Amino acid sequence: MNRTREAFVLPLLFLTVALLGGVRVADRLVLLPPPLFTLVLAFLLVGVLVRSGALAPERLMSAARSPIANVSGAVVIVTAFVAATQAFNVAIPESGLPRLLFSVFLLVLLVNTLAASPDRVRVLRSVLVIFGSAFILKFIVLAALSDPAGGWLKRVLLAMLEGLTLGTLSQDLYQPVTGYIAFVTLTLFVGSLALLPSRTRRALEPRADPLRGELDR
Amino acid sequence: MRESNVRTIGLVLTVAYAVFIAWLYVRQPQTVAEMTGALSATVGAYSIDEGAFADGLRFFRGDQFDAARLAFERADPAHQDSRTQFYIAYSFYRQGWGRLYSDDALFTRGLEAVDRAVAVAPQGRVAVDDPDLQLRSADELKAELQAGLRRDASDLNPLKIFRQRK
Repeated sequence: MNRTREAFVLPLLFLTVALLGGVRVADRLVLLPPPLFTLVLAFLLVGVLVRSGALAPERLMSAARSPIANVSGAVVIVTAFVAATQAFNVAIPESGLPRLLFSVFLLVLLVNTLAASPDRVRVLRSVLVIFGSAFILKFIVLAALSDPAGGWLKRVLLAMLEGLTLGTLSQDLYQPVTGYIAFVTLTLFVGSLALLPSRTRRALEPRADPLRGELDR
Repeated sequence: MRESNVRTIGLVLTVAYAVFIAWLYVRQPQTVAEMTGALSATVGAYSIDEGAFADGLRFFRGDQFDAARLAFERADPAHQDSRTQFYIAYSFYRQGWGRLYSDDALFTRGLEAVDRAVAVAPQGRVAVDDPDLQLRSADELKAELQAGLRRDASDLNPLKIFRQRK
C-alpha cells in the first residue's frame, strides 16, 4: 500500500469520522461520546472486514516490516476501530425503543455477515446498505416523527402507524445541519473502508497442502 | 523523502489530531471563541479584556445587571476566567433575589455561571476580595443560589421579608 495513504490519509480520515460522529446540533452544540455498545458493534465490524479480506492486518503489521511501519499500521487499525464506533454512534438513535431495536438489528446483522463470510466487495456493499438505511431511518423517518411541527411525511407515517403511541419512538430534535454532518461522516467512513489495504487474490487462494503430494504419491 | 520520515510525520500529525479531538470531547466548547480561549488557557496564554471587565464591574455596582453581564461576556468570551464568571453568577443572584421569592430562571443561570467559575479556577477555589460583596467565595454564592431554588417549609416563614440581599 502507498505509504502516504497509510501514514496520513487513512488515519486522518478515520479521525475525522471520529470527530464528526459525535456532533449533534440542537439549541447548542454537543459532542456525544460513543456508547459502550458501539464498541461491541465496531469490534464485530472490524472482524467482518478482516474475515472478508477488506482489511488485511498482515499488510499493516508483520515481521517483515520495520518497527515504525508496524506502529503506523497499528495506528490505521486503531483509528479504523475508533471511526467504526463513531459511525455506529451516528447510525443508532439516542433514546427509547428505536435505540434498542437498532442496536439489536445491527448486532444480528453483523453476526450474520460474520458467519456468512462474504468477500470484500460484498462486505463493502453490505456496510453501505447498513449505514445508508440506518441514516434514512434515523435522520429522515424518526426525525419526521419527532418533529412537533410535523409535515407531510409525519402525516403519512402516522397513518401507517395508526394505533401506535409515538412516545416510545420520538427522539431529541436536532437542527437539520446534524443530518448533513451525519451524511458526510458516514460517506467518509464507508469511503475510507474502501481505501483499507485488502487481502490480495493470491493470499485468498487456498494454500497448497504439503501432505497432499505425499498422499498422492 | 525517506520512508521513516514520512511515517514519523504521519504519526505525529495523527497523535496531535487525536489529542485535539479528545480535548474537544472533554471540554465541549460551544463557540469558536470558547474553543480558542480554552486552547490558550490550556497553555496559560489566556487573558480577559480588562477594560470591558471594569465596565462590567461599574454596571454591576450600579445594579444594571443586564448591562453588566454584556460587558462581562465581552471581557471573557471564552468563559475561562473564574473571577468574571463569579461576577456573572453574582449578577444573576442580585437580579433574581426578591424579598418574597427569588426568580428561579435567573438563579438557575447563576448556578450555571458559578459552576463554570469553579470549573476553570485553580483547584476549583474561587475567592474574590471585593468589599462590596457579602458572598466572597463561589461556595457561599452557590449555597445561596441553591437555597433560593429549594422548596421547603421555610418558604412560608413571614419573617423572610426582613432578610437582606447579600
